Amino acid sequence: MRHLLRNSFLIWMCSLQAHSALAAGAIEGEVTRQPVNQTAIIMFLIFVVATLFITWRASRATTTSSVFYNAGGQITGAQNGMAIAGDFMSAASFLGITGLMFIGGFDGLILSLGAFGAWPVLMFLFAKRVRNLGSFTFIDVISQRLERNPIRLVTAFSTIVVVVMYLIAQMVGAGKLIQLLFGLPYELALIIVSGLVLGYVAFGGMLATTWVQIIKAILLLTGVTLIAFLLLARLDFSFSGLLEQATLNHPKGEAILSSGVIFKDPVQILTIQVSMLFGTVGLPHILMRLFTVPDMRQAKLSAYYASLFIGYFYIALLVLGFGAIAFVYNAPEFFDESGRLIGGSNMAAIHIATAVGGDVLTGFMSAVCFATILAVVAGLTLSGAAAISHDVYAEVLKQGEPDPKTELRLTRISVFLIGLAAVLLGIAFQHENVAFIATIPMVVSASVTFPMLLLSLFWGGFTTRGAIWGALVGLSTSIVLIVLGPQVWVSVLGNSEALFPYDYPALFTMPLAFAVMIVVSKLDASARAATDRDNYQALLWRAEFGESAPSG
Amino acid sequence: MNVTEAELKQRTRRRFFFTGLHLCLYFSFSLNWTVWGNFLADRLGASHITGSLLMFISLILIFIALESVFLWLSRQGERS
Repeated sequence: MRHLLRNSFLIWMCSLQAHSALAAGAIEGEVTRQPVNQTAIIMFLIFVVATLFITWRASRATTTSSVFYNAGGQITGAQNGMAIAGDFMSAASFLGITGLMFIGGFDGLILSLGAFGAWPVLMFLFAKRVRNLGSFTFIDVISQRLERNPIRLVTAFSTIVVVVMYLIAQMVGAGKLIQLLFGLPYELALIIVSGLVLGYVAFGGMLATTWVQIIKAILLLTGVTLIAFLLLARLDFSFSGLLEQATLNHPKGEAILSSGVIFKDPVQILTIQVSMLFGTVGLPHILMRLFTVPDMRQAKLSAYYASLFIGYFYIALLVLGFGAIAFVYNAPEFFDESGRLIGGSNMAAIHIATAVGGDVLTGFMSAVCFATILAVVAGLTLSGAAAISHDVYAEVLKQGEPDPKTELRLTRISVFLIGLAAVLLGIAFQHENVAFIATIPMVVSASVTFPMLLLSLFWGGFTTRGAIWGALVGLSTSIVLIVLGPQVWVSVLGNSEALFPYDYPALFTMPLAFAVMIVVSKLDASARAATDRDNYQALLWRAEFGESAPSG
Repeated sequence: MNVTEAELKQRTRRRFFFTGLHLCLYFSFSLNWTVWGNFLADRLGASHITGSLLMFISLILIFIALESVFLWLSRQGERS
């Protein structure tokens, strides 16, 4: 009977997970508050004390906008690579991908490869050129050759859309996750997350945020390594033995070792791949990290080290995912009376920690998940505050000549307002299906930021008018197709069939944005277009060599 | 065209070459969900490791190797 219930649960979760586990929020739907986990709370408090001490040290050095936004450019490539990994390896990666593999085996890996594939592109195309051209945000890069005010306003708007949507998904996921892991009330969880992030970002700026992300990345990599080691140790370090055990436990048997359990449509796979790769490359809080290193060589090394750490993480998750099937599926203590996994499939990663390491490892991994949320939210908050105070106030309203003290004060006020908005929006969306909100940042980033950045760095014919029209088309079509897709049209609005069949429309919206940018730029005969084209050669030189082009 | 302009074009070509190669490999992963990739579902000998799983691990390692080569070439170019 329990096996039958578990099979029904599997089918139900397959349909649900295809939508929600792709999203940035780690936990979807209603959750049951668990008993207070004291081990997890003690370990988390140790993390908080350590990071607040670092923030206190960093706050003494954070006296100018430059130090606030980019840590004074004093972070090394290896440190920045670890911080990028800490910024990117969210609770959704750890819990969501392991949970998706628990449900469908190999199919869950599409998310791992999708997310990992972005880093080489970041290194090949952008790391050096973006670092050489920008100061604090990627918008600095685009506005170097295009007309400053309209470009900054459009890109700052798309950045704020990406940050706010990402933040809502993270906060709702965080509230539910902390309910599950720590047994704390949802609202209290949001206030704790927001309060700590405010402390890190408002006082320590990028320097404190960087060290929070580095510490979190080290803890997360240590945790997954320990679990993978203990899992493999149980089977004489035989990965094949682990897979065999998994196929014996899973109702789909050997089918979990290859594709097709969750996803069947190759076009759907392409939509996920395009959104994950190009969306990640264009995320503003990731691009912002390239400005924290002293030079272009360290920027390239940052992307390289990030690849190493993130690649290792996803290979370790491969072991954890199949390990969860091998050791959680047949353990009745992890299932409730109705045959459902306690806490839902996203808790598979925590259950496997319990299975191989007992309460201590469970507490450790729960604390790591909490730290993970803090690190990601801190990066997002800093990026959103920079868009408001640097890109809009300092560069547009003050035409690049702001009063430094006023700018720094405005940045801290922006951080506070974003933190407050995050708590209020997190509470407002508490009972909503946030999967579609988490989809928007990746699709908008792939359809707006990526095309603008690529064309401004690599195509001499790109003009301001082309950039603005392309960005508006990319932004609007992304939102319209997400609304017409399964996540909103069916799951939220309750219609029987979606008008657009895919969750991630970037496969269609990104080429459309590119096409509009190119066609409008080619047709643009304005005086500004001539200036934009003339600016390219000098920009190209500075982007590649870090210096002005030789005269004559 | 002077030497530096040629260098600039060469560097841009190199960026696009590595990106193109990377994207071809990256999107080849979708073969797993098509009939042309059916062979990837086969197990390797007596082990339970399938072609699909091997492809996943190999792609991650190949991407890192591509980045290493790109970095090395960039460093050689900067030295010369």
